[in-house]
Amino acid sequence: MRLPAKNALKVLASAAIFIPSIVSADNQDVIDYREHIMKTLDEQTAAVGMILSNAVPGDNAAAHLQAIALTAQIALKAFEPKVPGGEAKPEVWSNWADFSKRMNEFAKNSLEAAALAKEKGYDDPALAAKIVDALPCKSCHDVYRKEKK
Amino acid sequence: MSRLSHFLIAGTVLVAATVSSTARADDQDVIDYREHIMKTIGEQVAAIGQILQQKAPADNFVTHAQILAITAATAKKAFEPKVPGGEAKPDVWAQWPDFGKRLDELTAATADLARIAKTGGIAAAAPKVQTLPCKSCHDTYRVETKK
Repeated sequence: MRLPAKNALKVLASAAIFIPSIVSADNQDVIDYREHIMKTLDEQTAAVGMILSNAVPGDNAAAHLQAIALTAQIALKAFEPKVPGGEAKPEVWSNWADFSKRMNEFAKNSLEAAALAKEKGYDDPALAAKIVDALPCKSCHDVYRKEKK
Repeated sequence: MSRLSHFLIAGTVLVAATVSSTARADDQDVIDYREHIMKTIGEQVAAIGQILQQKAPADNFVTHAQILAITAATAKKAFEPKVPGGEAKPDVWAQWPDFGKRLDELTAATADLARIAKTGGIAAAAPKVQTLPCKSCHDTYRVETKK
Protein backbone atom coordinates (compact mmCIF):
# COMPACT_ATOMS: atom_id res chain seq x y z
CA MET A 1 0.00 0.00 0.00
CA ARG A 2 3.09 2.17 -0.11
CA LEU A 3 2.44 4.58 -2.92
CA PRO A 4 -1.30 5.09 -2.68
CA ALA A 5 -1.23 5.34 1.09
CA LYS A 6 1.61 7.84 1.12
CA ASN A 7 -0.09 9.96 -1.48
CA ALA A 8 -3.33 9.64 0.38
CA LEU A 9 -1.78 10.79 3.62
CA LYS A 10 -0.50 13.91 1.91
CA VAL A 11 -3.94 14.42 0.46
CA LEU A 12 -5.67 13.89 3.76
CA ALA A 13 -3.32 16.25 5.54
CA SER A 14 -4.27 19.00 3.15
CA ALA A 15 -7.95 18.18 2.86
CA ALA A 16 -10.29 20.92 3.97
CA ILE A 17 -13.19 20.06 6.21
CA PHE A 18 -15.56 22.02 4.01
CA ILE A 19 -16.06 19.98 0.86
CA PRO A 20 -17.57 21.92 -2.04
CA SER A 21 -19.54 19.90 -4.54
CA ILE A 22 -17.47 21.00 -7.51
CA VAL A 23 -14.97 18.41 -8.67
CA SER A 24 -11.84 19.59 -10.43
CA ALA A 25 -10.55 16.25 -11.65
CA ASP A 26 -8.07 16.30 -14.49
CA ASN A 27 -7.58 13.30 -16.75
CA GLN A 28 -4.88 11.72 -14.60
CA ASP A 29 -7.14 11.99 -11.57
CA VAL A 30 -9.87 10.15 -13.44
CA ILE A 31 -7.45 7.40 -14.41
CA ASP A 32 -5.98 7.16 -10.91
CA TYR A 33 -9.40 6.95 -9.33
CA ARG A 34 -10.68 4.10 -11.47
CA GLU A 35 -7.37 2.29 -10.97
CA HIS A 36 -7.83 2.45 -7.19
CA ILE A 37 -11.13 0.72 -7.72
CA MET A 38 -9.83 -1.89 -10.15
CA LYS A 39 -6.79 -2.63 -7.96
CA THR A 40 -9.11 -3.14 -5.02
CA LEU A 41 -11.00 -5.70 -7.07
CA ASP A 42 -7.73 -7.30 -8.05
CA GLU A 43 -6.46 -7.57 -4.47
CA GLN A 44 -9.73 -8.82 -3.07
CA THR A 45 -10.24 -11.33 -5.87
CA ALA A 46 -6.72 -12.61 -5.27
CA ALA A 47 -7.52 -13.04 -1.58
CA VAL A 48 -10.65 -15.01 -2.42
CA GLY A 49 -8.65 -17.11 -4.87
CA MET A 50 -6.17 -17.93 -2.11
CA ILE A 51 -8.99 -19.06 0.15
CA LEU A 52 -10.64 -21.17 -2.52
CA SER A 53 -7.34 -22.81 -3.35
CA ASN A 54 -6.83 -23.57 0.34
CA ALA A 55 -3.69 -21.46 0.50
CA VAL A 56 -5.02 -19.55 3.50
CA PRO A 57 -7.87 -20.04 5.99
CA GLY A 58 -11.32 -18.92 4.94
CA ASP A 59 -12.41 -16.88 7.95
CA ASN A 60 -12.46 -13.66 5.94
CA ALA A 61 -14.12 -15.05 2.82
CA ALA A 62 -17.49 -13.40 3.35
CA ALA A 63 -15.83 -10.06 4.08
CA HIS A 64 -13.70 -10.24 0.93
CA LEU A 65 -16.76 -11.03 -1.17
CA GLN A 66 -18.66 -8.19 0.42
CA ALA A 67 -15.78 -5.85 -0.41
CA ILE A 68 -15.80 -7.09 -4.00
CA ALA A 69 -19.55 -6.64 -4.25
CA LEU A 70 -19.41 -3.09 -2.91
CA THR A 71 -16.50 -2.22 -5.19
CA ALA A 72 -18.31 -3.68 -8.18
CA GLN A 73 -21.29 -1.42 -7.48
CA ILE A 74 -19.15 1.71 -7.91
CA ALA A 75 -16.80 0.59 -10.66
CA LEU A 76 -18.93 1.60 -13.63
CA LYS A 77 -19.30 5.14 -12.30
CA ALA A 78 -15.52 5.48 -12.31
CA PHE A 79 -15.41 4.66 -16.01
CA GLU A 80 -18.14 7.10 -17.04
CA PRO A 81 -15.76 9.96 -17.84
CA LYS A 82 -14.47 9.25 -21.32
CA VAL A 83 -10.79 9.39 -20.50
CA PRO A 84 -8.73 6.70 -22.23
CA GLY A 85 -5.47 5.88 -20.51
CA GLY A 86 -3.98 3.64 -17.90
CA GLU A 87 -4.89 0.05 -18.67
CA ALA A 88 -8.27 0.83 -20.19
CA LYS A 89 -8.59 0.31 -23.93
CA PRO A 90 -10.53 2.90 -25.96
CA GLU A 91 -13.08 0.15 -26.59
CA VAL A 92 -14.41 0.75 -23.08
CA TRP A 93 -16.08 3.87 -24.45
CA SER A 94 -16.56 2.88 -28.09
CA ASN A 95 -18.38 -0.28 -26.91
CA TRP A 96 -19.91 1.37 -23.86
CA ALA A 97 -23.19 -0.54 -24.09
CA ASP A 98 -21.39 -3.87 -23.89
CA PHE A 99 -18.88 -2.73 -21.28
CA SER A 100 -21.54 -1.30 -18.98
CA LYS A 101 -23.70 -4.40 -19.41
CA ARG A 102 -20.77 -6.55 -18.29
CA MET A 103 -20.05 -4.32 -15.33
CA ASN A 104 -23.68 -4.33 -14.26
CA GLU A 105 -23.81 -8.13 -14.47
CA PHE A 106 -20.61 -8.33 -12.47
CA ALA A 107 -22.11 -6.06 -9.82
CA LYS A 108 -25.28 -8.15 -9.62
CA ASN A 109 -23.50 -11.52 -9.53
CA SER A 110 -20.90 -10.45 -6.99
CA LEU A 111 -23.67 -9.23 -4.72
CA GLU A 112 -25.31 -12.65 -4.93
CA ALA A 113 -22.00 -14.38 -4.18
CA ALA A 114 -21.47 -12.16 -1.14
CA ALA A 115 -24.96 -12.93 0.12
CA LEU A 116 -24.40 -16.65 -0.34
CA ALA A 117 -21.08 -16.55 1.53
CA LYS A 118 -22.67 -14.65 4.38
CA GLU A 119 -25.58 -17.04 4.60
CA LYS A 120 -23.89 -20.40 4.01
CA GLY A 121 -20.25 -19.90 4.95
CA TYR A 122 -17.13 -20.09 2.81
CA ASP A 123 -16.97 -23.88 2.63
CA ASP A 124 -20.40 -24.31 1.09
CA PRO A 125 -19.86 -26.25 -2.16
CA ALA A 126 -22.21 -23.98 -4.09
CA LEU A 127 -20.15 -20.93 -3.21
CA ALA A 128 -17.11 -21.78 -5.32
CA ALA A 129 -19.30 -22.22 -8.39
CA LYS A 130 -21.08 -18.97 -7.69
CA ILE A 131 -17.81 -17.09 -7.24
CA VAL A 132 -16.32 -18.28 -10.49
CA ASP A 133 -19.58 -17.37 -12.21
CA ALA A 134 -19.68 -13.98 -10.51
CA LEU A 135 -16.14 -12.94 -11.30
CA PRO A 136 -15.68 -13.07 -15.07
CA CYS A 137 -12.56 -10.95 -14.77
CA LYS A 138 -10.56 -12.48 -17.60
CA SER A 139 -13.26 -12.36 -20.28
CA CYS A 140 -13.71 -8.63 -19.70
CA HIS A 141 -10.00 -7.91 -19.38
CA ASP A 142 -9.31 -9.75 -22.63
CA VAL A 143 -11.49 -7.26 -24.45
CA TYR A 144 -11.15 -4.03 -22.50
CA ARG A 145 -7.80 -4.02 -20.71
CA LYS A 146 -4.42 -3.39 -22.26
CA GLU A 147 -1.95 -6.21 -21.85
CA LYS A 148 0.81 -5.18 -19.46
CA LYS A 149 4.31 -5.34 -20.90
CA MET B 1 2.35 -17.16 -6.57
CA SER B 2 0.63 -14.83 -9.03
CA ARG B 3 -2.90 -13.66 -8.58
CA LEU B 4 -3.95 -15.31 -11.80
CA SER B 5 -2.41 -18.56 -10.66
CA HIS B 6 -4.32 -18.40 -7.44
CA PHE B 7 -7.54 -17.85 -9.30
CA LEU B 8 -6.83 -20.64 -11.76
CA ILE B 9 -6.20 -22.92 -8.84
CA ALA B 10 -9.49 -21.78 -7.41
CA GLY B 11 -11.14 -22.85 -10.64
CA THR B 12 -9.53 -26.24 -10.32
CA VAL B 13 -10.87 -26.49 -6.84
CA LEU B 14 -14.29 -25.76 -8.22
CA VAL B 15 -14.05 -28.51 -10.81
CA ALA B 16 -13.06 -30.93 -8.14
CA ALA B 17 -15.91 -29.59 -5.99
CA THR B 18 -13.86 -30.14 -2.89
CA VAL B 19 -13.57 -27.01 -0.84
CA SER B 20 -11.78 -28.30 2.20
CA SER B 21 -11.84 -26.42 5.46
CA THR B 22 -8.16 -27.12 6.07
CA ALA B 23 -5.82 -24.51 4.68
CA ARG B 24 -2.21 -25.33 3.75
CA ALA B 25 -0.63 -21.94 3.79
CA ASP B 26 3.09 -21.74 3.23
CA ASP B 27 5.00 -18.66 4.35
CA GLN B 28 4.77 -16.86 1.02
CA ASP B 29 1.02 -17.45 0.92
CA VAL B 30 0.69 -15.89 4.36
CA ILE B 31 2.67 -12.84 3.25
CA ASP B 32 0.80 -12.53 -0.06
CA TYR B 33 -2.54 -12.77 1.65
CA ARG B 34 -1.94 -10.02 4.19
CA GLU B 35 -0.47 -7.84 1.44
CA HIS B 36 -3.68 -8.19 -0.58
CA ILE B 37 -5.52 -6.85 2.44
CA MET B 38 -3.12 -4.00 3.17
CA LYS B 39 -3.00 -2.97 -0.49
CA THR B 40 -6.78 -2.87 -0.56
CA ILE B 41 -6.74 -0.55 2.42
CA GLY B 42 -4.16 1.61 0.63
CA GLU B 43 -6.26 1.83 -2.53
CA GLN B 44 -9.40 2.72 -0.61
CA VAL B 45 -7.69 5.38 1.49
CA ALA B 46 -6.25 6.82 -1.72
CA ALA B 47 -9.70 6.91 -3.38
CA ILE B 48 -11.17 8.63 -0.33
CA GLY B 49 -8.29 11.09 -0.39
CA GLN B 50 -9.03 11.91 -4.04
CA ILE B 51 -12.66 12.59 -3.18
CA LEU B 52 -11.74 14.83 -0.26
CA GLN B 53 -9.40 16.72 -2.53
CA GLN B 54 -12.21 17.05 -5.07
CA LYS B 55 -10.30 15.06 -7.64
CA ALA B 56 -12.99 12.43 -7.88
CA PRO B 57 -16.78 12.65 -7.62
CA ALA B 58 -18.25 12.28 -4.18
CA ASP B 59 -20.97 9.81 -5.17
CA ASN B 60 -18.96 6.80 -4.03
CA PHE B 61 -17.66 8.19 -0.75
CA VAL B 62 -19.92 6.16 1.52
CA THR B 63 -19.14 2.96 -0.35
CA HIS B 64 -15.40 3.53 -0.12
CA ALA B 65 -15.76 4.06 3.62
CA GLN B 66 -17.69 0.80 3.88
CA ILE B 67 -15.10 -1.14 1.89
CA LEU B 68 -12.35 0.32 4.04
CA ALA B 69 -14.15 -0.72 7.22
CA ILE B 70 -14.83 -4.24 5.98
CA THR B 71 -11.23 -4.70 4.89
CA ALA B 72 -9.74 -3.26 8.06
CA ALA B 73 -11.72 -5.82 10.01
CA THR B 74 -10.00 -8.64 8.11
CA ALA B 75 -6.45 -7.42 8.70
CA LYS B 76 -5.75 -8.75 12.18
CA LYS B 77 -6.58 -12.32 11.23
CA ALA B 78 -4.15 -12.08 8.31
CA PHE B 79 -1.29 -11.08 10.62
CA GLU B 80 -1.90 -13.79 13.20
CA PRO B 81 0.47 -16.32 11.63
CA LYS B 82 3.94 -15.38 12.82
CA VAL B 83 5.58 -15.09 9.44
CA PRO B 84 7.93 -12.12 9.10
CA GLY B 85 8.51 -10.93 5.57
CA GLY B 86 7.16 -8.58 2.99
CA GLU B 87 6.82 -5.13 4.49
CA ALA B 88 6.04 -6.32 8.00
CA LYS B 89 8.74 -5.78 10.61
CA PRO B 90 9.40 -8.59 13.11
CA ASP B 91 8.12 -6.14 15.74
CA VAL B 92 4.59 -6.99 14.58
CA TRP B 93 4.91 -10.30 16.44
CA ALA B 94 7.43 -9.23 19.07
CA GLN B 95 4.95 -6.57 20.20
CA TRP B 96 1.78 -8.37 19.27
CA PRO B 97 -0.39 -6.93 22.09
CA ASP B 98 0.38 -3.40 20.90
CA PHE B 99 0.06 -4.25 17.21
CA GLY B 100 -3.17 -6.13 17.75
CA LYS B 101 -4.56 -3.26 19.77
CA ARG B 102 -3.72 -0.82 16.99
CA LEU B 103 -5.46 -2.99 14.42
CA ASP B 104 -8.50 -3.20 16.67
CA GLU B 105 -8.46 0.58 16.90
CA LEU B 106 -8.21 0.84 13.11
CA THR B 107 -11.18 -1.49 12.78
CA ALA B 108 -13.20 0.62 15.21
CA ALA B 109 -12.13 3.90 13.59
CA THR B 110 -13.03 2.77 10.08
CA ALA B 111 -16.37 1.36 11.24
CA ASP B 112 -17.07 4.70 12.85
CA LEU B 113 -16.06 6.49 9.65
CA ALA B 114 -18.39 4.33 7.57
CA ARG B 115 -21.27 4.97 9.96
CA ILE B 116 -20.73 8.74 10.00
CA ALA B 117 -20.29 8.86 6.22
CA LYS B 118 -23.61 7.12 5.78
CA THR B 119 -25.52 9.26 8.23
CA GLY B 120 -23.74 12.61 7.94
CA GLY B 121 -22.09 12.64 4.54
CA ILE B 122 -18.65 13.84 3.57
CA ALA B 123 -18.64 17.02 5.62
CA ALA B 124 -19.24 15.04 8.80
CA ALA B 125 -16.85 12.22 7.92
CA ALA B 126 -13.87 14.19 6.60
CA PRO B 127 -12.41 15.00 10.03
CA LYS B 128 -12.57 11.30 10.90
CA VAL B 129 -10.59 10.39 7.80
CA GLN B 130 -7.78 12.64 8.90
CA THR B 131 -7.52 10.83 12.22
CA LEU B 132 -7.07 7.33 10.79
CA PRO B 133 -3.90 6.00 12.38
CA CYS B 134 -2.20 4.66 9.21
CA LYS B 135 1.08 6.53 9.48
CA SER B 136 1.73 6.02 13.17
CA CYS B 137 1.38 2.28 12.79
CA HIS B 138 3.43 2.14 9.60
CA ASP B 139 6.21 4.14 11.25
CA THR B 140 6.55 1.42 13.86
CA TYR B 141 5.65 -1.79 12.11
CA ARG B 142 6.28 -1.44 8.39
CA VAL B 143 9.63 -1.79 6.69
CA GLU B 144 10.53 1.32 4.76
CA THR B 145 11.11 0.14 1.23
CA LYS B 146 13.28 1.90 -1.29
CA LYS B 147 11.69 3.41 -4.34
